[in-house]
Amino acid sequence: MASLEQLKQTFFDECAELLQDIEVGLTEMREGGASDETVNAVFRAVHSVKGGAGIFGFTGLVEFTHVFETVLDEVRHGGLAASADVIDVMLTASDVLSDLVTMSRSGEPIGAGYGEECRNALQHLIKVGDGGAAADDEGPAPADFEDFDFVPVPAEGFDAPEGAEAVTDGMRCYAIMFRPKPEMLKNANEPLYILRELRKLGELDLTAHVGLPPLSELEPDHPYIGWTGTLRSAATRAQIDEVFEFVVGDCELEIVEADPISVVTTMIEAVVWPADLALQDSPERDDVAAAPKVTPEMATSAKSADKAPGVQPTKPAATTTRVELEKIDRVVNMVGELVIAQAMLGQIVQGLPEDVSGRLAQMLEEVVFHTRELKDSVMSMRAAPVGSVFQRMPRLIRELAAKTGKKVRLETVGEHTEVDRSIIERLGDPLTHIIRNSVDHGIESPAERLAAGKSEEGTVRLAAEHRGGRIVIEVRDDGAGINPERVLKKAREKGLIGMDAVLSDEEINNLVFLPGFSTAEAISDISGRGVGMDVVRSNIQDVGGRITLKSERGRGMTIQLALPLTLAVMDGMVIKVGGETYVMPMPAIVECLRPSRGDVQNLVGSRGMLQLRGDLVPLVGLGDLLDVRSTPGAASDSVVIITEAGDESRFGLIVDELCGHQQVVIKSIEESYGSVPGIAGATILGNGRVAFILDVDKLSDLAVNEMSTVGSAGLAHAGSSGLAA
Amino acid sequence: MPAAAALKVLVVDDQNSVRQMTRLTLEQLGVRHIHEAANGRAAMDTASLQPLDLIISDFNMPEMDGLGLLRAVRGHPVARKVPFILLTGRGDRELVVTAAKAGANNYLIKPFTAAILREKIEQVMGKLS
Repeated sequence: MASLEQLKQTFFDECAELLQDIEVGLTEMREGGASDETVNAVFRAVHSVKGGAGIFGFTGLVEFTHVFETVLDEVRHGGLAASADVIDVMLTASDVLSDLVTMSRSGEPIGAGYGEECRNALQHLIKVGDGGAAADDEGPAPADFEDFDFVPVPAEGFDAPEGAEAVTDGMRCYAIMFRPKPEMLKNANEPLYILRELRKLGELDLTAHVGLPPLSELEPDHPYIGWTGTLRSAATRAQIDEVFEFVVGDCELEIVEADPISVVTTMIEAVVWPADLALQDSPERDDVAAAPKVTPEMATSAKSADKAPGVQPTKPAATTTRVELEKIDRVVNMVGELVIAQAMLGQIVQGLPEDVSGRLAQMLEEVVFHTRELKDSVMSMRAAPVGSVFQRMPRLIRELAAKTGKKVRLETVGEHTEVDRSIIERLGDPLTHIIRNSVDHGIESPAERLAAGKSEEGTVRLAAEHRGGRIVIEVRDDGAGINPERVLKKAREKGLIGMDAVLSDEEINNLVFLPGFSTAEAISDISGRGVGMDVVRSNIQDVGGRITLKSERGRGMTIQLALPLTLAVMDGMVIKVGGETYVMPMPAIVECLRPSRGDVQNLVGSRGMLQLRGDLVPLVGLGDLLDVRSTPGAASDSVVIITEAGDESRFGLIVDELCGHQQVVIKSIEESYGSVPGIAGATILGNGRVAFILDVDKLSDLAVNEMSTVGSAGLAHAGSSGLAA
Repeated sequence: MPAAAALKVLVVDDQNSVRQMTRLTLEQLGVRHIHEAANGRAAMDTASLQPLDLIISDFNMPEMDGLGLLRAVRGHPVARKVPFILLTGRGDRELVVTAAKAGANNYLIKPFTAAILREKIEQVMGKLS
């Protein structure tokens, strides 16, 4: 049995989802694309938070959600128009609510008066909605109605509930059965209009009964629908009869003023609907209404009744199940072990004599195939849409806009793009920081924007997409872009570059990633102190990602993050250099080739350039980069792997040998060794030995250094860190 | 006098936490057979297939709300006599009135204690043993 603490956790998990629903719904309303169902969904979500909070005793939450809920109730009943101002107050309320939930979750006391301003604003709206009259129940509705004269109906006596009598308060209750005949449609009377008229008289509750004959007997112009239900109204019987005046002969009609339940139920039994007609031949027909016997027909009739108007529109039932992340992680680990065991098996099979290994190898092939499928399935279980990170951003933008007095609109694209949870967890902070930067430094004030001939409102566009085995997330703003002079000046002042260094615009832009760089003239409380773009970059690089920045003066800035889809298993090419084995991530490999002597042009130093289909690709020895003694020899004797780093620059890595393509399980080495340039992690190979996984982006940086300082030995080497396996 | 241990109760709420909490409270009263459903539609599926002694349902739910469920139950040839207790928040007087008319046997205000739950069930079912 679940403990109370566990249930509370479940409640908070639900809250997180409900808060998202609220945010999404309100945003939809704000953008004007909302239906009544959206408003209802937001109302339901707030109501659910309130209900749960009550049960688990979070009074602060209950009080706030109550006011919030009342406003939403006004909106959905049309008492309050959902104007932009009203929705803005509700959006703020959703932010406050989110804070309150966080505080309740962490057990932090909610400060007196927290969210007071927002609550007052909500209460003000309630008053507006009431047309000036004060809300009847402010706060958590002190007016409980325990004393209210609801007479509980004993189970055996509910066919004639006395309780119902007690609550009629001057309203009459009519039970109505209405079933149009074909003549009614022929006489151009529309049943819908009649129902609408009826609804005007009072509270109408109807259940539709649809019964279609077999297709061969179906008359397209016949109404195969009828309704039963109740009308609670102050209207007289005559007024109701008036509604049906013109169709009296053209329909089956029964109107009875009485206690609602008994009438309705008996009527439903009495009425033979067309659907039931089909059952008449069946000997069980008489049993259907009376005997407690379940037949498939009943299930269908119950379902067709569900489709009645007035019942909320059907959404496809979600077939999901909640699984603790830890359990999935365990499966991921097991798959990892399986991949390793399978690689070892492969190694053994290879060593066997041909006549034994033939069939074994074939079977192994199959195992490899299934393992790959298994891996993909498990990975997709761990994957989640990046939307969960994106959803935090509208609030951020709102807060930033409010603080800076700028007008900013957020556009999101591709929020359904899926990526591993571990990546998602690490995306939040960098994205938050980048967006802060964009709004704080990028987007101009409305006046400046107008002066620059732009629209008053700035746009920040957040987009995600899959590209070449990676997820690419782009933050683009249409602000002022980077001011190269200012950046250069700042970098010189801070001694980050020499006073006389000449840099290209791109190089200048990339200066913002240097540690200790901040261009804001005065550090604002928005972009923060201390944490700069350098931290963002190292965060992204820690997960094997890469960050690039493009800026166009006066037009805006684009920051692109390219991240691996998963951190657990990947496809790799096993290579050898100087007796050491490494793994190169497959997505980074463009092609592998053994160049002929004529293709290699020696330029400066010993490495040279490779002539590749008309392009020149710089070559660099992997052994030199990592400082492992490579078998001496020219590039032409070795294999060249053409790789493409995240910035789309290509270069050729010279290696001794390609050993084959295999899936590898990524094991982090950072906990044990810290970050090593050029090495992304380690893995266990089929022979049980450890091999390092190469970080191509870092290698590319190293290679650029290598090429520009051929002969110097000032590089950071993996080997010199005592890491050689 | 119904025996709590023999009662078959269906708890309907879209919030798992509330559902579990209701289950926990019912278990404190000695109820052992507890079905759960996350919305009216799922509840109706259960109600048409399982013999039930009591339905305790929330009002606000997606797909089919508590009132919709109540009406569907009352209109169902087999389940129509199953006692129905509506879970509601404070201040939902209107709702309770509507529910009473639609055939609810009792209502229960969230949050509730085991004692109140017992009282409400006993008002409908008779003393629990």
